[in-house]
Amino acid sequence: MSATTTAVPAATRRPRPALATYVGLDLRRQLRDRVGMFFIVALPSFMYVVFGLGSDERVGSGNVAMYVMTSMATYAAVTATTTVAGTATVEQTMGWGRQLALTPLRPLAIVAMKAAVAMTVAAVAVALVFAVGALTGASGSATDWLLSGVIIWIGSAMFAIYGLAICLVFRGPNTPGIASGLIVVMAFLGNLFTPMDGLMLDIGRLTPMYGFAALAHYPQTDGWLPMGDHDPLWLPVANVLAWTVIFATLALWGIRRSRART
Amino acid sequence: MIDVAASTPAIRATGLRKTFRATDGSTVVAVDGVDLTIAPGEIVAFLGPNGAGKTTTVDMLLGLTRPDAGTVEVYGTDPGRAVRAGRVSAVMQTGGLLPDFTVEETVRAIAATHGRSDRVAAVIERAALTEIADRRVQACSGGEQQRLKFALALVPDPDLVILDEPTAGMDVATRQHFWDTMRADAAQGRTIVFATHYLAEADEFAERTVLIARGRIVADGPTADVRASFGGRTVSFRPPEDVVRPDGLDPAWLARVEQALAPLGVTGVEVSSASLEAAFLALTGDAPATAEPSPMSLDLTGATR
Repeated sequence: MSATTTAVPAATRRPRPALATYVGLDLRRQLRDRVGMFFIVALPSFMYVVFGLGSDERVGSGNVAMYVMTSMATYAAVTATTTVAGTATVEQTMGWGRQLALTPLRPLAIVAMKAAVAMTVAAVAVALVFAVGALTGASGSATDWLLSGVIIWIGSAMFAIYGLAICLVFRGPNTPGIASGLIVVMAFLGNLFTPMDGLMLDIGRLTPMYGFAALAHYPQTDGWLPMGDHDPLWLPVANVLAWTVIFATLALWGIRRSRART
Repeated sequence: MIDVAASTPAIRATGLRKTFRATDGSTVVAVDGVDLTIAPGEIVAFLGPNGAGKTTTVDMLLGLTRPDAGTVEVYGTDPGRAVRAGRVSAVMQTGGLLPDFTVEETVRAIAATHGRSDRVAAVIERAALTEIADRRVQACSGGEQQRLKFALALVPDPDLVILDEPTAGMDVATRQHFWDTMRADAAQGRTIVFATHYLAEADEFAERTVLIARGRIVADGPTADVRASFGGRTVSFRPPEDVVRPDGLDPAWLARVEQALAPLGVTGVEVSSASLEAAFLALTGDAPATAEPSPMSLDLTGATR
């Protein structure tokens, strides 16, 4: 008796969650975090200006400025998704997760909304760095430019998983900082900040950001590196796939471990 | 129709049990065989000392924690479904707010998850948050944050509100206003269950008190009955001034009082008025004999024992 009598009013009184409204509010909150946005947008733009401004030598289908701009946009997008994913796990552990658990939202919807926020912030970061580049002399084939942007944007999702994994494995309020700090190291090893060759390049090729960065540059360079080396396409693809699997495994392990504690 | 609604309890829990593994590997029984039925429209205090299992029980009633044994039904369905249907909401004890949202944004975000953006203005008004609506949560006092959590609980316009230590961090005036609001809600037929360790709150506000200690229900009935049956009656008097010392009452005098009262069958004297506190202390059994010693008051109880 109770099953049917309660189900009917419950269904009729239940409006649908307004997910877009929630994402909008969360996004606005993220974008007005000045310190966070400085590292996501302003710092990469600044580094582009320092390293890339006015370098008009040809590289592949564009110039050096475009190459540096792509590097910094990659760094910006990675920082964006890592930061958003990292703070998301902290918010969950701080009790916002319990608050959301008392709403009609399913866990999958919560993850999807956070992913939407992360990808939007990443898109903003890439767009801004590209805009600074376009205004200050980066030039190259328009299709390669666009293709790089899309690769960076989609590939940065991999680092959302990374941010999630780090914050689940090392718990605590400072972990988003640790995750962002490691990104700087990975960006160096990923050939984003200074051109590498020899042993450093061989080591770098095995590190998490190398494959992603190489793919971001591929439309412009077809795999040729600043110091004359060349990457066949399978190498960065394999790197990205392998590290995505590793990050996802770590994240899953972290989730299981956090569940086991309660 | 009305019959069916009346016969479906707001909460029906049977044999609830929950154990946790402590850091040293031993198991701790947080909730141990709790049976509880709460009818729609009741106002029930869930009273117990810290660590009695209140929050764990609340978590199970809300579907946030799965019981190791026993069943919970909320309005005849499982707690998770009742929560998703907006029939139950809660003010939780810890955390639960994002510091960099404003008060209004927090309400709007939660309202969006319920698809009830139409309720934003109403609940802000209801929880008296209008004046601080644009303030960041991190700039709000503990009491203001508590009011915000209360506003969030009202968003789905629930039939049952579960409040876990709802007035923590509120000053006296705010607490009074909070309970006035709750009374008005209850008068409109909302079921209210609140966990607290403030005896006065249970005494003043709840029609029914469920006393919990060490994971078990040790008393359950009308608040007045719980108080009367365990609190008993006490007689208080003021000792002559010359026997009051800074460190308590003159022991020699106390001995004489004891001697004088013994033939009359008096075994204890309380200064404070008879209250739920007596029941609380007797049943939960983990309070010190003299909780707040003050020279003028009752070291007498301890002395005569």
